[in-house]
Amino acid sequence: MALSLSKGGNISLSKTDPGLEKILIGLGWSERATSGADCDLDASVFMVGETGKVRSDRDFIFYRQLTSPDGSVVHTGDNRTGEGDGDDEAIEVDLDKAPADVQKLVVTVTIHEAEKNGLNFGMVSDAFIRVVNNETGTEVVRYALPEDYGVETAMEFGEVHHHSGEWKFRAIGQGYSGGLMAMCQRYGINATA
Amino acid sequence: MTDLPIGANAPLDGPSVSVLVDLPGGAEIAVTALQIYPGGKVRGDGDMCFYGQPRISGGAVTLTQGASPRFDIDLARVPGDVEKIVLTATVEGGKTFGQLGDVSIDAGPHSLTIPVHGRSEVALILAEIYKRNGAWKIRNVGQGFNGGLAQLATHFGVEIADDDGSAAPPPSAPPSPSAPPTPAPPPSVKLSKVNLTKTEKTVSLKKADGKFGKIRVNLNWNQRVQKKSLFGMSRSAGLDLDLGAFVELSDGNRDVVQALGNSFGSFWAEPYVSLLGDDRTGAITDGEWLEINGDAWATIRRVLIYAFIYEGAPNWRETDGVVRVYVPDQPEIEVAMNEYGSNKGMCAVAELSNEGGQIKVERKVDFFGGHKDMDRAYGWGFSWKAGRK
Repeated sequence: MALSLSKGGNISLSKTDPGLEKILIGLGWSERATSGADCDLDASVFMVGETGKVRSDRDFIFYRQLTSPDGSVVHTGDNRTGEGDGDDEAIEVDLDKAPADVQKLVVTVTIHEAEKNGLNFGMVSDAFIRVVNNETGTEVVRYALPEDYGVETAMEFGEVHHHSGEWKFRAIGQGYSGGLMAMCQRYGINATA
Repeated sequence: MTDLPIGANAPLDGPSVSVLVDLPGGAEIAVTALQIYPGGKVRGDGDMCFYGQPRISGGAVTLTQGASPRFDIDLARVPGDVEKIVLTATVEGGKTFGQLGDVSIDAGPHSLTIPVHGRSEVALILAEIYKRNGAWKIRNVGQGFNGGLAQLATHFGVEIADDDGSAAPPPSAPPSPSAPPTPAPPPSVKLSKVNLTKTEKTVSLKKADGKFGKIRVNLNWNQRVQKKSLFGMSRSAGLDLDLGAFVELSDGNRDVVQALGNSFGSFWAEPYVSLLGDDRTGAITDGEWLEINGDAWATIRRVLIYAFIYEGAPNWRETDGVVRVYVPDQPEIEVAMNEYGSNKGMCAVAELSNEGGQIKVERKVDFFGGHKDMDRAYGWGFSWKAGRK
């Protein structure tokens, strides 16, 4: 039985599943069933160094750059919808390959063209993030986001961070306005629409 | 006053909330509050507060009609397993909300505006009042369905009869306000009840003197068809369900009691079974009644109670028929006919037979093409010809 965290909760992945090297970060949500513009949610990863910022624009893994230069982080794309375990999007991380100067991988989900289409996280339900041992298929930890969001258009679901030689996962569940652009600004990506 | 845009939420303070819905002019708009349980669905008719049933959950949710309809919700009295109450609005007459003005809602200190310009929804979820960590909050949902009521109903598990199966049936005008559909009367207090099912098929009723008083048999159906019209949808082609009985007396005389052929029977004389009126429209919400003279039970050998669809498509599941047998001083006996999707027009529901002066009630729920088939199956031996009411 995998662990469930609540908002702000922390676990050591290395201790919970010793020998864990390759993980899959699965993300899921239920989009609104109502009519109108599609609520298109996109998962991204920011590979953040000690400064709290990315080292370069290449450390931003998203729908237009699915793989990090070192190959440690791979976004599997949009094609995993609803299959079996219910991940809508997933990111594979090879922890052993992750560069030593990357302190954490921040996983965000943002709503595409949210403002233009009048969309926000108040319209999203059943959101979760989970970490799976990608070699055994065993779920290590899961965090179900509370269904209490409002006008946020960007959401940090969780992060995997390196601390004193072990890998940890933290449940974040913090929302922001401004969509993916705001997330880019927050982590030092020089983005334009 | 805080303004909550679409998607935003805020806590509700206090034990109750009044929600005033300010509707745009230019079209008839029906508002409904639905009590939603875990799983995101309603459980039944009792979860819908609307003009035809303006008071639910013992008054915990009420609707006051007017130019700006108002829902009063006593949060402390809402059933504990209700997860949220959604407030919806449906435009009648083939219009969309985009053709009208904005909808706004006042809920205590909160104001919710739903801009509708350019939108194509016919049914809107205006707001939801939901429980979060034991406290109630309100959210401006402001989303809806282009497919109107049918989609909205499906979304929340409200079953409505939809004969044509089209995705977007144009809602018809609502019934005139002077003649709102009568909601089903609230259930009376029942201390005991027997449900006859496939596995528990029979029950025996005993009375020392063998006189059972006035035994009343009720057939009710049609709830979903009513619901459909309550929601402002067109009523399906008239569905007429008839209640009838085959009666056999101890001297071997047999009789048929049913509206078809004007054979209403008699309570005081043979066959001691009489049919009260005939509900051709289902507008009488308590359905059809048969009365059996239980004081004459000694002279009755058996009574087969049946229902048949006189008009309308034979779809028993949709018909949702229930037969209840009320014997004085005995638990109410209920037999539901909704568990089969039989396409045959006739259903033998239950048989009351005289076993040593007692009444044995046996569930049948067998379906037949007509009287003749049923007759043959149970060996009654009537002769049959077609008739009309």
